[in-house]
Amino acid sequence: MAAISQTTAAVRDVEQYKYGFVTDIETERAPKGLNESIIRFISAKKDEPEWMLEWRLKAYRYWLTLGDQEPTWAKVTYPRIDYQDSYYYAAPKQQAKYESLDEVDPKLIETYNKLGIPLKEQQMLAGVAVDAVFDSISVATTYKKKLQELGVIFSPISEAVKTHPELVKKYLGSVVPYSDNFFATLNSAVFTDGSFVYIPKGLRCPMELSTYFRINEKNTGQFERTLIIADEGSYVSYLEGCTAPQRDENQLHAAVVELVALDDAEIKYSTVQNWYPGDENGKGGIYNFVTKRAACRGRNSKVMWTQVETGSSITWKYPSCILQGENSSGEFYSVAITNNRQQADTGTKMIHIGRNTKSRIVSKGISAGRSSNTYRGLVRVQGKADGARNYTQCDSLLIGDRCSANTVPYIESRNPTAQTEHEATTSKISEEQLFYCLQRGMTQEEAVSLIVNGFCKEVLQTLPMEFAVEAQKLVAISLEGSVG
Amino acid sequence: MALLKIKNLHANVAGKEILKGISLTINAGEMHAIMGPNGTGKSTLSNVIAGRDGYEVTSGEVLLDDNNLLAMSADERARAGVFLAFQYPVEIPGVSTSNFLKTALNAKRRAAGLPEIDAMEFLKLVKAKTKALGIPDDIIKRQLNVGFSGGEKKRAEVLQMTLLEPRIAILDETDSGLDIDALKVVADGVNNLRSADRGFLVITHYQRLLNYIVPDHVHVMSGGRIVASGGKELALTLEAEGYAKYQAA
Amino acid sequence: MATSFITAHPFGDAYAARAGALPAVAWLESLRRFARAEIAGGLPGAQVEEWRFTPLTQLAKIGFIPAASADDVDVTAVPLDVPVVPGAVRVVLVNGVYRADLSDSLDGLDLRTLRDAVSSSKDMESAVGRVAPLSLPMVALNTAFMEDGLVIAVRGSVTRPVHIISIGAAGSSPVAFHPRVVITTEPGASLSIVETHIGLPGQPFLANPVTEVFVAEDAAVRRFVSVTEEGDAYHLATTVASVASRGTFEAFHMGLGGHKAEGTTRQEIHVVVNGEGTKVNVSGAYAIAGTMHHDFTTVINHRVGGSASRQVFKGVLDGRSHGVYQGRLRVAPDAQKTDARQVHKALFLAHGPAVDCKPELEIDADDVQCAHGAATGALDSDQLFYMAARGIDPETARALLVEGFLAEAIAEIGDESVRVVFAAQMAAWLQRRGGAS
Repeated sequence: MAAISQTTAAVRDVEQYKYGFVTDIETERAPKGLNESIIRFISAKKDEPEWMLEWRLKAYRYWLTLGDQEPTWAKVTYPRIDYQDSYYYAAPKQQAKYESLDEVDPKLIETYNKLGIPLKEQQMLAGVAVDAVFDSISVATTYKKKLQELGVIFSPISEAVKTHPELVKKYLGSVVPYSDNFFATLNSAVFTDGSFVYIPKGLRCPMELSTYFRINEKNTGQFERTLIIADEGSYVSYLEGCTAPQRDENQLHAAVVELVALDDAEIKYSTVQNWYPGDENGKGGIYNFVTKRAACRGRNSKVMWTQVETGSSITWKYPSCILQGENSSGEFYSVAITNNRQQADTGTKMIHIGRNTKSRIVSKGISAGRSSNTYRGLVRVQGKADGARNYTQCDSLLIGDRCSANTVPYIESRNPTAQTEHEATTSKISEEQLFYCLQRGMTQEEAVSLIVNGFCKEVLQTLPMEFAVEAQKLVAISLEGSVG
Repeated sequence: MALLKIKNLHANVAGKEILKGISLTINAGEMHAIMGPNGTGKSTLSNVIAGRDGYEVTSGEVLLDDNNLLAMSADERARAGVFLAFQYPVEIPGVSTSNFLKTALNAKRRAAGLPEIDAMEFLKLVKAKTKALGIPDDIIKRQLNVGFSGGEKKRAEVLQMTLLEPRIAILDETDSGLDIDALKVVADGVNNLRSADRGFLVITHYQRLLNYIVPDHVHVMSGGRIVASGGKELALTLEAEGYAKYQAA
Repeated sequence: MATSFITAHPFGDAYAARAGALPAVAWLESLRRFARAEIAGGLPGAQVEEWRFTPLTQLAKIGFIPAASADDVDVTAVPLDVPVVPGAVRVVLVNGVYRADLSDSLDGLDLRTLRDAVSSSKDMESAVGRVAPLSLPMVALNTAFMEDGLVIAVRGSVTRPVHIISIGAAGSSPVAFHPRVVITTEPGASLSIVETHIGLPGQPFLANPVTEVFVAEDAAVRRFVSVTEEGDAYHLATTVASVASRGTFEAFHMGLGGHKAEGTTRQEIHVVVNGEGTKVNVSGAYAIAGTMHHDFTTVINHRVGGSASRQVFKGVLDGRSHGVYQGRLRVAPDAQKTDARQVHKALFLAHGPAVDCKPELEIDADDVQCAHGAATGALDSDQLFYMAARGIDPETARALLVEGFLAEAIAEIGDESVRVVFAAQMAAWLQRRGGAS
């Protein structure tokens, strides 16, 4: 098992980012660069129907018209991305059509074990079904049968395109259209895999669904696409986790997530994002440019986003809710930690369209090192949204005097019966609290981790139990070396 | 003579029936107490009498001096002589207590055909009342109820009641959250206002307040109805035995 | 960025040629050249982030002529509704030009007109443009076309407040004027300024005043500005203040718009904190109706630490008016021990108005206390019921609550006699509005 010893060695070298290892596995790649034939290649690889290819090409042609119009409003800086200098398709050579996990390359299984995501069902966290996406494709989906019996569709989106074309056709791009923004358009053209979830009417999905994303290959962009539909009266809790090897060059991750909640449906979407953040000098790391949006279409529908963003060299993401259905509600809970040279520009948009729609935003930003951490959010109340309510709380914590914390909320109200409320604070980690902890015998790092975890508590406690514990540890690890 | 007459009053909140046929007559000069466990509709009754939005009267009558209160808006009822001492008086930043009191007092005087009171006279009047009640008079310079302690809020309610001289005063859980000293201030204020032409309805969960404000009649409310009535001794029985007997019914 | 700006606008060379300019001194000519280059790209439209809520698309279509070249404007008296500020010296500008005949005597004051100052003294070179950067489009426009204004150089403590009354009036054509007020202080000096900006009925006008304030060590400048708009004028005012150690800068800005107001007012205030121990308060209130558009834009830049800044803004909106608050708090690296607060609250009085709010924190130092709050909504039903339960009729109750809502901002006016004047103007607005629905 050369790969394992190599992996272990790699892990030993990495102190702060323990997921920085590379799996040595044979990979099939499309040639570098982006053009129509690459898109045709991806589509052919996935054995897609014609309509899917057409959609991709439409997106690609639109993307070409955007030229160099990458969004520039975020408070992040990075060198120009050469979109021709990247691979858009990479997959472990062994094909992904496994009948059972026994057929999966043991190296892959080992990789996920290493990441703390066991794929063998008997070892799994009870009640969590996992879809594992490795570079461009889904390598394993667990608990598939059990979910099938309940009528839940949980499969790689590439598979759903073939098995449930009517659902994919109806909802894909219905929340984030292919023309939405530069990165979403790029994703629409080249997305390789991701998860598809459909929860049937009235079902409370008994297990957490989870996708674990892993970028392994060099020079590869990862463009996954996730689509979750919660039919009337259903409920689902969905988790995603992400990691990548430690590499000197930057890698692009431009994902799109679309959620649709119909009448009385509820979707809880939790993310623990721990892509490789680059080294302490800002070398390497993932550009995490992600479009996530939920449509609360039905009456009383509810979507709750929770994110713990600790990784990536640049994070650009705004999980949002379109609150269309009467009485629908959207919640956004976020912890974003930046250290060293990391840059994060993240927040949410809550668009109140329907009557009595509610939204709640709780954002906790922690900046350390020479990092920059920005909350950017929009609360818009449209004219017909009688009785709409929004509450926003944004707190920033600074650790060290070389980092920055920014808060940029937009509040636009067009309805007199609506109430919006926004509060924000910025301060440094309390010396009194630190001293108190030190006096009780804690190390500096333990103290910081304790205090920061307390600062984030309101967000962390919205995570499903298994993730909450992981997230707390991650908070501590992300801040290592930030004080002292 | 009958001051306040409530006849078979039914009322809904958010489509749910909370008052299920309340009948009660308070004569001038009388002090009535309504007791009962939480969630039996005591506060609903006070809000319905005062005319708060969101309380839908489905049937029954409420008469003050034979005038139909239910046909009046909340402010008309207040000017007709209904005073509600709130359990949780709302804070109104930016509005000074004195400006508020003067506005309320003059609204009432206008309705009664009396001339408006000027600023000097008003100050004199307030000073006299605060002194009599043992309330620091700088309270009127402060923004209305803003940053008042629980006790200060209740004392301010009593001050308002003293100034506005209502026909019928409803005290909604006025004793909640008060220490014994504050309770005495409140009770003294109420007792001083007792007169032959004024009625009181005291809503309380505990008997404690009734040691200081002695009622003529005590009613037990449960499940949106008055399930027992008696003299002041009923309060003591309730204190000793609890509400279980009535709740079961 | 060519697409972001509205390039077709009336302030071209033809406009410049018609202006009766200031003396052609070399430094000024040079400054104006830079200014014209800055605005050559055009006026800001919605794509420009700082102007997204107040794009100048409509303004750019109006064929303004320089106010000085309008020969059919005749203002012979100060309108009676201009409030009297007790003890203040009145200085009147009509269309941005000083009018001695309408003003009190300036004897004994450190106050000159810009025209006089530019022609008679050399130190103007270091005063004009000292703190107001040409990167702000309205400052550039003003610099390119300014014709007059005031220069106040304060030594010691000026006990009498200066009341600047600025009257805008157009004849048969829309007019534009770009007055510049420069206020400088010596260390320890202090000054209070009250400003009343009003317009006379008629064609639209554009008032584009720029005020530069230099607050020296231990000096204090207090400035209270009220802008009343009843017609369809544009009032785009920029203030830039620089505050040195232990200096005080207190500003209160009020914007009022009547039922028939269709105009656009933007009061933009920039404060640069350049020393420790300064006290900065920039607050304001607006009460607007009709289709009036009112924008408060503030940028408080703590370049040096150890200072406090405070902002309290409140707005009341009726009709189909549009209120904007953009507030940016910036704390530079190493500006430690900064304490900065900012709040904006807007109250809707009707179905129809719109509010856009963007309070921004940009913090690059860690040992700071910074906070902002923002809220929008209608009157509180619990408060209304409380009032009703005390016998107060709904109309009076609403008026009291609106007044109380605004009082929190008005309370920021440190000078009591000015506070009374402003509160009365606000009360008059509420009264004119009558029964709030």
